[in-house]
Amino acid sequence: MKHFQLKSMASITHLLIYILAFLLIWEWLRPVPAVTNTGQIEIFVWFTLASAALIYLRFPFYITMPALFAGSLYGLHLIFMEGPFFSGEGAGTLLRTFAAEFTVNTGMIFDGNFAALTDFFRTFLLFTLLALVCYLLYYWVLYTRRVFFFLICTVAYITILDTFTVVDASQAVIRIVIIGFFILALLHMLNVQDEERAIGRRPGSFISPAWMYTLVTMAGAAVVAGILLPKPEPQWEDPVPFMREFAGIEGSGGARASRIGYGVNDERLGGGFEKEEGTAFLAAADGEKYWRGESKDIYTGHGWTSDPTYVESEQIFGSGIDYRMFEEGAELEEGETSIEMDEAADFELIFYPGQPVNVQNTAADSGGNTISENEIQYYTDAQGGRIQAESGNAQSVRLDSYDLTYEEPVFPMEELRNSSEEDPEDIQEYYLQLPEELPERVTLLAEEIAEDHESRYETAAAVENYFSENDFEYETENVAVPDDGEDYVDQFLFETQEGYCDNFSTSMVVMLRALDIPARWVKGFTAGEEIEELEDGRNLYEIANANAHSWVEVYFPEVGWVPFEPTRGFTNYADFEEPESSDPGIDLGEDTSGEDPNIPEPEGGVDDLLEEGGEQGGTDEDGDEGSAVFTLKNLLISIPLVIGVMILYQKQNRLQNKFFFYRYRLSGKSASFSAAYQRLLWMLANEGIPRAEGETLREYSRRVDLALSSQAMTKLTSSYEKVYYGGRTPADEWEKRKKDWEEIVRLLQA
Amino acid sequence: MRGKKEQPAVKQPLIYELIENVEKVVVGKRREIELSLIAILSGGHVLLEDVPGVGKTMMVRAIARSLGADFKRIQFTPDLLPSDVTGVSVFNQKTMEFHFRPGPVMANIVLADEINRTSPKTQAALLEALEEGSVTTDGETRQLQKPFFVMATQNPIEYGGTYPLPEAQLDRFLFKFRIGYPTKTEEMEVLNRAEKEPPIDSLQPVLALEKLLKMQTDVKNVFAGRQVKEYIISIVNATRQHHAVYLGASPRASIALMKAGQAYAFMQERDYVIPDDIKYLAPFVLQHRLMLNSDAKLSDLTTERIIRDILEQVHVPAGNEQAQ
Repeated sequence: MKHFQLKSMASITHLLIYILAFLLIWEWLRPVPAVTNTGQIEIFVWFTLASAALIYLRFPFYITMPALFAGSLYGLHLIFMEGPFFSGEGAGTLLRTFAAEFTVNTGMIFDGNFAALTDFFRTFLLFTLLALVCYLLYYWVLYTRRVFFFLICTVAYITILDTFTVVDASQAVIRIVIIGFFILALLHMLNVQDEERAIGRRPGSFISPAWMYTLVTMAGAAVVAGILLPKPEPQWEDPVPFMREFAGIEGSGGARASRIGYGVNDERLGGGFEKEEGTAFLAAADGEKYWRGESKDIYTGHGWTSDPTYVESEQIFGSGIDYRMFEEGAELEEGETSIEMDEAADFELIFYPGQPVNVQNTAADSGGNTISENEIQYYTDAQGGRIQAESGNAQSVRLDSYDLTYEEPVFPMEELRNSSEEDPEDIQEYYLQLPEELPERVTLLAEEIAEDHESRYETAAAVENYFSENDFEYETENVAVPDDGEDYVDQFLFETQEGYCDNFSTSMVVMLRALDIPARWVKGFTAGEEIEELEDGRNLYEIANANAHSWVEVYFPEVGWVPFEPTRGFTNYADFEEPESSDPGIDLGEDTSGEDPNIPEPEGGVDDLLEEGGEQGGTDEDGDEGSAVFTLKNLLISIPLVIGVMILYQKQNRLQNKFFFYRYRLSGKSASFSAAYQRLLWMLANEGIPRAEGETLREYSRRVDLALSSQAMTKLTSSYEKVYYGGRTPADEWEKRKKDWEEIVRLLQA
Repeated sequence: MRGKKEQPAVKQPLIYELIENVEKVVVGKRREIELSLIAILSGGHVLLEDVPGVGKTMMVRAIARSLGADFKRIQFTPDLLPSDVTGVSVFNQKTMEFHFRPGPVMANIVLADEINRTSPKTQAALLEALEEGSVTTDGETRQLQKPFFVMATQNPIEYGGTYPLPEAQLDRFLFKFRIGYPTKTEEMEVLNRAEKEPPIDSLQPVLALEKLLKMQTDVKNVFAGRQVKEYIISIVNATRQHHAVYLGASPRASIALMKAGQAYAFMQERDYVIPDDIKYLAPFVLQHRLMLNSDAKLSDLTTERIIRDILEQVHVPAGNEQAQ
């Protein structure tokens, strides 16, 4: 019976399936710009859409082929040519170019010289490939009705990209799952419909509503459950670094891990971290603060140094310290903190919040005697702010515990925004330095970011936010190390886009300097973990080695050095004060990272490191926000929900039957007899007694009565025949046959 | 066709009585009797294809007697002339005039035995009678009697010296069916009855011809709704589109199917046709109207098989097409 079974490919279902298949192709194209140097991906997407449409509409090949060819030519024009396409000149040039390219490249193909193929020709080949894929999909999906393999390939492709490249596929996977659900289910529906047609039941293919509702509900439930359910950490070690190492993917000089902690030498930054255990020091303070160690101001292209000549010329203030960081514009509050260094820690410098005023040694020496105040001299690097203690005989002393008086600034936003840009000469001299080899594109990027921002503060904030807005990843393992010829910042900004605090802070400083904004790179610790509330109202913080951090200070002539926090997932501890009538349009540096929803969750072996960011910092807030979805409450809600959906699905026929039972019982008009009978046919079909295609109602009713051991269907049917075939108006048919109708529905329920 | 299948009982009392009467003579052939009566009621004719001796003549004679109708039998032979069928004008020497002697076709019920044994010319003479209800001799058209019913038979075994009826002529028969051998118990009954005097001679008419003519009019008033007509069209169309069919059923077949359906509905005392009527009658109406192509003939496909397939596939309108 081939002849009246000709498959129609033009049904809504087929169109829907093909559109979904197109969305799958799109998922293939989406990450392409991120992993290759292909630009203008939208042209390829449009082209794919056009080919898909042409192929679906089944134009004869002598229309399709030239149209696709013209389409790819137009695409080539958009990508490689300038000027209008539809002028004789534009098209002519393009055609000549195409002919020339085609000849040259075909020659190269025959010579096996594939590497030399030009971009133009490669693009043309890509267009051809896309058209072919569209055709293949048409064939796979609509003729052979198989898509599972393609789906698996898509998932594998996305997963691999997500694992090994910068592509973030967390959204894509959800999309693919939804698309996949629908395609598979619709294809299955078509197959079922075909089988039904083979036994002669259905006239055509269409989306049955029951199927559709179920599908949407199930797909929705699965996706929601998938998103809501808690996702435990991997139970085995991340194999990716090993695989990358094994495959030699780490192009830039191999993975190099360095210690977490406060290092001394910053001349060569980059490389992964190894977790360093242990506490650095305990500090009693009245809030969370940056623990500043020192700043460095010479960027070498690979890392930071201070001017060695300058270290020699330390200024000595005796027990008093005078290292000015802030100008009159900042409101200073004096505070005190007590610090106790961990025994294992080995720092020759003092860590301080804000700007230090005075240090009081409270520790005993190794012999148990308190070193007298007079024996200790403090040396301050007036430029970097490094404070060291030395004993009288010029030996550097490690202070085990000390009290520190400091001034903590509050930065008035108004001052910052209105700050002038007249930097003193010495500031300009030291803090605008950049290596000559700095790649041009870093400067260009900085200018691009700064484009629409007038004031220094807005520019700095824009650069600070650039990283989170552009999906830079916080990553501590396998962070690339630049090769000799490469620039550390350039590599991070344009190639890897993943790294830790050093990458972010260095990049920000370099970009600001490229914009002639004085900035410096600061090392120290984040606020650490609050472990205890002290009686004097202060809190005791434990600062671990893993809390070592680096950030940025930007110079504002009226205010001084203002900290900025470009690293994703970290919070700026500095106080910024909005004027009373604050303008909410402007971002506070403080808030930016805290509000960023994309901050990575602390994971596995690196969470300690991430806790650099501090307990109440952005990381944790976001952690809470993230885990808020996985709470017990949500779990408890979602499980019954899923079970409820399952039960509904199982009982749907029963419920429908109940509904119609009461509906027709209550409506009870004769006019509804036909409708009621037709509804009964529908219900019977749902309950697994469908009428075959060539089966007459009489044959069918006999079969139904046999199955239900009743007489009612035959009686009902002869009444219906009289109405439907006999052209009678149903007078009191419904009254007479209501009992029979209800009997069948009741039998169905049983 | 589809083996013994449950059929709706005949409810029309007069027809029922008629069938009972015929069955006094013919054993176990109720379906064939019914089909013959349907043909009579709807003004059609029947082609029987069967071996000799299964009771074709007996059945048609019994029907004729039960109706009190004029019955004639023509045995077709290769040398039979058209005038032997239609009648001939003979010269009466007494009156010195030509006098028309009606042929055997001038009767209510005619049995045309082994119709494929005679020449096409003679066949054509009979078929004109079938179609027009009149015959033309010596330039004069004569109306046949009413009702007029022909039951033609063909022997499917012997083909030597036969002139198979062309398709165009087969189309004029409403039904084609077989009678078939009786079952063992039926055959025992046949023997029992044949032991004594043949019962046919004692058969009394039960239905007057006038009443039969009235019934023929009533049959035309049986309602065939749009859905039923659509169903007929779908079936007929399916035969035209079937890959194994070289020539499908004609619109005449559609009309025949509908008329037969009306008669069948009438016999069940229903004043409207339902798809069951059509589905039941379709094989008898259609099977002699299809020509298979050579592929089908080679692959053992038969018209019966094809029609059965089509009936299983063609959607029966039931009013819930939108609801699904």
